[in-house]
Amino acid sequence: MGANNHFTLLLALRWRLFVNSLRRGNRRSEFGAQILAFVLGAIVVFGLSAAFFGGTLGLLNTGHADFLDLLLWAVFLIWQLAPILFEGYSPGLNFREVARYPISFRTYFLLNAAYGISDPAALACLLWLFSMWLGILIAKPDWAITALAAFLLFALFNLFCNRVIIGLFDRFQSTRKGRERMVVIMLAIMLLPQLMQLATANWASVKRVKVPGWVLDFITPVRQMSPPGVVARVLLLDGSDKLVALAFVACYGLLAWLLLRRQLQAVYEGEIYSEGFTVKRELRVRPGWRLPGVDEVISTIVEKELRYIRQNVRMIVQFVYPMILFLFLSFSGTSKRFFFTRSSTGLLAMLAGFLLLSLPNLAYNIFGMDGESFGRWLLCPLPLRKVFLGKNLTHGGILAGIYLIAAAIVIPVSSVSLLPAASVTIGFFAILVIQLGAGNLFSVYWPKRIELTRMSSRMASSAAGLASLLVVLPVGAISGAVGLAAWYCHLPWLPLAAGLIGLAVALTLYSYLLNRTVNYSHDHLEEIASTLGA
Amino acid sequence: MSEIVLQTVALRRTFGPLVAVDNLDLKVEKQQFYGFLGPNGAGKSTTIKMLTGLLRPSSGQASILGLDLAGNSVEIKRRIGVVPEGLALFERLTGAQLLNFVGRMYGLDRAKAAERSAELLEFMDLKDSADKLVADYSHGMKKKTALAAAVIHGPEILFLDEPFEGVDAIAATTLKRLLQRFVAHGGTVFLTSHVLEVVERLCTHIGIVQNGRLVASGSLDELRTGVKIAGHDGSPLTLEEIFLQVVGGAKQDVEVLSWL
Repeated sequence: MGANNHFTLLLALRWRLFVNSLRRGNRRSEFGAQILAFVLGAIVVFGLSAAFFGGTLGLLNTGHADFLDLLLWAVFLIWQLAPILFEGYSPGLNFREVARYPISFRTYFLLNAAYGISDPAALACLLWLFSMWLGILIAKPDWAITALAAFLLFALFNLFCNRVIIGLFDRFQSTRKGRERMVVIMLAIMLLPQLMQLATANWASVKRVKVPGWVLDFITPVRQMSPPGVVARVLLLDGSDKLVALAFVACYGLLAWLLLRRQLQAVYEGEIYSEGFTVKRELRVRPGWRLPGVDEVISTIVEKELRYIRQNVRMIVQFVYPMILFLFLSFSGTSKRFFFTRSSTGLLAMLAGFLLLSLPNLAYNIFGMDGESFGRWLLCPLPLRKVFLGKNLTHGGILAGIYLIAAAIVIPVSSVSLLPAASVTIGFFAILVIQLGAGNLFSVYWPKRIELTRMSSRMASSAAGLASLLVVLPVGAISGAVGLAAWYCHLPWLPLAAGLIGLAVALTLYSYLLNRTVNYSHDHLEEIASTLGA
Repeated sequence: MSEIVLQTVALRRTFGPLVAVDNLDLKVEKQQFYGFLGPNGAGKSTTIKMLTGLLRPSSGQASILGLDLAGNSVEIKRRIGVVPEGLALFERLTGAQLLNFVGRMYGLDRAKAAERSAELLEFMDLKDSADKLVADYSHGMKKKTALAAAVIHGPEILFLDEPFEGVDAIAATTLKRLLQRFVAHGGTVFLTSHVLEVVERLCTHIGIVQNGRLVASGSLDELRTGVKIAGHDGSPLTLEEIFLQVVGGAKQDVEVLSWL
């Protein structure tokens, strides 16, 4: 059986799994949410295609062809980074399992590459390269054939390189130490745009930027010898130099191919990622935690939840990221351009908003990390309501803790007066309670198993993500309306009064939603357990 | 007469048109080692799920330790131990953390939970793996951990769904030692298993279920008396022979699978 047949079989398998998954009601709503996300994503991708086309045309027509490599850099970075950041949105096939079937290594390699090319980010980048090529075809028809060859080699290089990176991340994710290293890498990737923004903002504020000579001496050859730079040089150079540059692009592709081949060979031959280690010491089990003022069982649930969260790199990143983003926006040179950062109260509100936006990933699929262990909660001699309360206390406690620490710094530093500070804080807690209540319901309506050791595992279902708009939009509208009314009518106490009323409403709503969630759970135990265990 | 610790009356569970458990009447007495047998899909796991609160019955009644299951599920859960089908272990905890967690969820105080966890890890030969994540355990180690989690709070009845499936001889011996000790100290065991030799050696009473209905029940001797086999040489029937007689034997004259 050849690679084509295996690929067809895999496609058929994915299709069958997808069709079968639609037998469940919650999967149908999940599919609907994914279609909506796909449509929105497609609009962005096609919009950017027009930008790449226009950019290429503009650079060539205005005699700035030497800047073409910047567009190629954009393609390169997005192709390499987007599949990592959005890995959870791809079908997520486990190639370690594919290797169990009697297929040749060549087929295995081709399947892996074909899978890589079907990644949404890869497809988008191919479209953008094609748009650039169309721009070249119109502006410089003489370059079209060489450009086509160079772009094809560049695409292959990107594909192999990305598969190597995904493989490395999968490997990191599989081990405890690797996950800890990944925290640093993920943070660096996420911070890159902010660092660039900060740098450009600072440069823009200086009238004449004098870049030191040694910086240029370093950057220029790196830029020229980088894969995007070499591809651009294929277009710009003439004669034999053009061929040499093209050979360089091919060398980059070959190098990436060799790396991928080496990596896949190890997996194909049965390399096992394991975090196992043996501790040789006297057996001594430490007693669990006892949280002050909290029931023993709730305390135990909180301990378990925190241990699980600690193991989830992406979750930790999602807690840290809002804080870093907040710091960048607060102290970068562009801060005055943002509405929220013009006033000290706005700054505090922005902090609260960032933190609340990070909550759905945690609170909208609260059994996701438990997987098939969901059944353990049902075996324990306690009402299910207590499990929800314990989990909510953990998740809410983390967010509240981060907010209070950050607010304790922001309030004195930015001189936020007492009334607005109290209003924002009470508003924050009111929205937090509503989010947790809604999250409980979404968690049992659309449960989703989270694989901690897999990059491709998402934190919550698409349906829950979409449903979060049902919470965010009304809450945002009400908060905005209250803020405007207070400003327009000069009623500084209005946000505080609205916050207090909101908190009372939130607590009532939370109680109602919790009852509904528990009742729904009892009626759908089997369905929830099988979805989480699948 | 011994105390009845588990009783079901017309217990039934349907999944759409499929009747998984059909009017099941069971009686299990204290200190019995009850083996619940049946072919695949007979309704064994569904029954255990209903008896342990993992699944709501469609109709019928069940009482455990004299308490009605419908209205006393929390109290019943406190007094029973369960090794469910999928084990339901929090695999991202270490073995020691998991046992500690389960003990405390069942109401043990911190010190007692830690003390019993250590003892169980020692007994189950998991001492050297106490700080390993359960995810990294072998199948047999996971089964032993699941059994340790089921007994940590000192239950009165143990429900075990296929406890010996995929377990090697050494691990099986450890599990059997613990179960025999549990019954000897006044506990009751209700287990399902496909390993008939193990059931025959361990169980004092047996129930055989087919298509969701209880088709035979009693001690091994009672079952032997109840099952008549034409042409048998008079030697005592093995459990396997009884089982095959009750649920129907293997297909004869196989003419399919021509390539084998």
